[in-house]
Amino acid sequence: MQSQSNTSSLQSLVDDWSAEKQAFQVPWGKLMMWIFLLSDTFIFSIFLTAYMNVRISATAPWPNTSEVFALTIGGIHLPLILIAIMTFVLISSSGTMALAVNYAYKNNKKLAVKLMLATAFLGAMFVSMQAFEWSKLISEGVRPWSNPLGAEQFGACFFMITGFHGVHVSAGVIYLCIVAAKILAGHYDGRSLHIVEITGLYWHFVDLVWVFIFALFYLW
Amino acid sequence: MGIQTVDESHEVSSLAKYFKVWILLFVLSAFSYMVDLFQLQGYLRWTLVLMFMMLKAAFILSVFMHLGLERFALKTLVLLPPGAILVLILFMAVEGQYTTQSREFNFSQLWQQEILDFKDHHSPSE
Amino acid sequence: MAIVDAGTAIADQPAHMHEPTGWFTQYVWSQDHKVIAIQYGITAIFVGLVALVLSGLMRLQLGFPETFHFIDPNAYLQFVTMHGMIMVIYLLTALLLGGFGNYLIPLMLGARDMVFPYMNMLSFWTYLLSVLILLASFFVTGGPTGAGWTLYPPQAILDGTPGADMGIILMLMSLAVFIVAFTMGGLNYITTILQARTHGMSLMRMPLAIWGIFVATALGLLAFPALLVSAIMMTLDKLLGSSFFMPAIVSLGEKLDYAGGSPVLFQHLFWFFGHPEVYIVALPAFGMVSEVLSVHARKNIFGYRMMVWAIVAIGLLSFVVWAHHMYVSGMSPVFGYFFATTTLIIAVPTAIKVYNWVLTLWRGNIHLTVPMLFAIGFIFTFTHGGLTGLFLGNVVIDLPLSDTYFVVGHFHMVMGVSPIMVLFAAIYHWFPLISGKKLHDGMGKWHFWITFLGTYAIYLPMHYLGFLGVPRRYYAMGDTGFTDTSVQSLNAGITVSALIVGVAQLIFIFNLIYTVRNGKKCERNPWHAASLEWQPAVYPPPHGNWGDKLPIVYRWAYDYSVPDVQQDYIPQNVPQDAINELSKPRGKSL
Repeated sequence: MQSQSNTSSLQSLVDDWSAEKQAFQVPWGKLMMWIFLLSDTFIFSIFLTAYMNVRISATAPWPNTSEVFALTIGGIHLPLILIAIMTFVLISSSGTMALAVNYAYKNNKKLAVKLMLATAFLGAMFVSMQAFEWSKLISEGVRPWSNPLGAEQFGACFFMITGFHGVHVSAGVIYLCIVAAKILAGHYDGRSLHIVEITGLYWHFVDLVWVFIFALFYLW
Repeated sequence: MGIQTVDESHEVSSLAKYFKVWILLFVLSAFSYMVDLFQLQGYLRWTLVLMFMMLKAAFILSVFMHLGLERFALKTLVLLPPGAILVLILFMAVEGQYTTQSREFNFSQLWQQEILDFKDHHSPSE
Repeated sequence: MAIVDAGTAIADQPAHMHEPTGWFTQYVWSQDHKVIAIQYGITAIFVGLVALVLSGLMRLQLGFPETFHFIDPNAYLQFVTMHGMIMVIYLLTALLLGGFGNYLIPLMLGARDMVFPYMNMLSFWTYLLSVLILLASFFVTGGPTGAGWTLYPPQAILDGTPGADMGIILMLMSLAVFIVAFTMGGLNYITTILQARTHGMSLMRMPLAIWGIFVATALGLLAFPALLVSAIMMTLDKLLGSSFFMPAIVSLGEKLDYAGGSPVLFQHLFWFFGHPEVYIVALPAFGMVSEVLSVHARKNIFGYRMMVWAIVAIGLLSFVVWAHHMYVSGMSPVFGYFFATTTLIIAVPTAIKVYNWVLTLWRGNIHLTVPMLFAIGFIFTFTHGGLTGLFLGNVVIDLPLSDTYFVVGHFHMVMGVSPIMVLFAAIYHWFPLISGKKLHDGMGKWHFWITFLGTYAIYLPMHYLGFLGVPRRYYAMGDTGFTDTSVQSLNAGITVSALIVGVAQLIFIFNLIYTVRNGKKCERNPWHAASLEWQPAVYPPPHGNWGDKLPIVYRWAYDYSVPDVQQDYIPQNVPQDAINELSKPRGKSL
């Protein structure tokens, strides 16, 4: 590890790939999570690519997302405000997760668990806001199979992509709770808390996907 | 066993860095929200939206997911394969345009009229 | 700092950690990669036999139309669909990666097991679930889907296509479950290959079989998402009535409630998965056949590095050739230039591999054992199938030949028969390792010659049928007027050959059962192979594979016909000074 600074990055690439035993100096679980996320990246990218294609070739006009997701709070008409709040909640959860990983590596188990539970709480909050958003759209008549506001594919893409993302967030909440419970139960005592970082990778990925959905679906 | 040597450098990254990036992400999100609030349109809108998106993604990946601290081999492993997706995106954008064009052509008033005329001349009643 | 994570790192623990605790944990809920591989293998061969019977029924209808009244047009289309889907996904992908991938990776790399044995076990049971869902579609109202293995919408989910109500839903569900199973297995294979090799095993010392499996698994992890996404979208179109792939459409005289979707999008997504899938099947076969050729020709594989880079190059290029399946689909016509070019470029690394196999045989000490016969048979069938692929890769030649029997002949040669030849070669080759017994030689030779010659009797005439303009997926030709009278007699001939080849597979099944029950224990390392999987002390290797100490690797896997050593090969785990000791006496006598 010390030699890292005085070799070029290309040289380190060659060294790592030509090494015996292992190519990456990371735990197995972490490498597996990265590769899983890579595969998951393809799933979300292809969802978004399909959305792009049907949006370009849709015959009916695409609804103005800024207005569709607007709310009137206290008499003030705010475009896209719910999505903005959801974004802030998810970024906050990413922040608490990053801190949880940091404290886990400092062996501050209690604080790490607390921060993980805070992350899970924010995630649950995100999912409930999404449920609110879904019910609002459904009450306005938007369905996967029809859309009074314009192109039918708008509803279909919206429910499919945010639904798939919501499933990921929900799974992440459960995953966080399970890992937190296992840490509290002493399952990882005497061992490194890599598991927190691995869980964190998954959680940050969910946030990362939201960044793309926010820009490409809501702002486009 | 000694099989798994582990990079411990993650421990030392200070809390201050996380807070800075955290705030930065809030600010960038606020900016992209503002793009919509002020109803910027056209190329300016797409450029800003994409720029803020890429910046946010880069910060989450490199700081929160520690990709910046990983060795070059892992970086390439994570960042190169999505190139295949870029090819798909490019072709699907072109394909979408082509589908629209052929729809506009085939469903256009003019073309429809010609079909109707054709039917009028060849209807079985005549 | 070295930290061992005992929760996941079971493959790195001492041998006793791997001992099963009872009959159930040993044979049913086993976490041992070898048992899981055999479970995968038996399940895949079972569904493969189902698909083989389906193809026999199809051939009966084509060869002797209006003779078999239980095969109506609907049933015929259902047989076509299920045959294709089972063979490509549930047999070839599962057997090559789930079966041989599982068996060979830890043994060839000198690991005790996969890195996540529990997930490996889940992978098999999820795969079994997907197979059961698939087979269940034979028993629902309307039967299995008859949309063709490509499942193109709109017809796949519209009334009038057989199995359009329940069959298609079960098919899409089964595919989704299979993808989950593959992902669990695939993450394991990749992580094991990258992180759990033994001392001295660098990537460039890995046998080519592992390289093939590695790149194929990577392709699978990145390509199956496209299939998953299109399956989800089509399920929504079918169940909820969304219009991702469905344009405004009139079906059976009725305007349906769809509008504005893009059927071509499905074809793009399907082939973005479908073309890498061809290489998911081909690359492990390429790798395994390299092992067999090298061992039985007693020569090192020609151009090892070139072979590795060819595998990697094919893997990369396979993501940019997908639309060559769609020249006649109505996609943007300019795509033809790009995809024809990339298709011809991907032929270059493929041709390098074929040359290298032939050059491995050149002046080798060729032993015409049964695995070797199958491996040489593969070189023939693959070359023929690959050459017709060059025809079809060009737009102008593809246009008249699309959807004819030329295409059927082409893809059966290149990704049907060829990988199956390798599978047979691999089963005959590695059976002594798996069971400790050698498969019967005479039966094996009969099996090979009937299969190999039968293959040509079936598929060469199909190319000719294609030139005559016989379209594929037709239930019966009837009185078309544009086809020659020779078509019917050729079809009858193909059917007879196909039935003979189909029945000949019973020799193989019988051989398996006969050898397991009555076969004699064979010597250790019967083919005198140098690669690591043959070096454990007992066959089949015990749980944990290597006893107390992991092997240490000193060389590549292809040291055959080495001058001045006692045996004509040096196993991978023999150090240099041990060879010097061994070779001294013989050196003097020379």
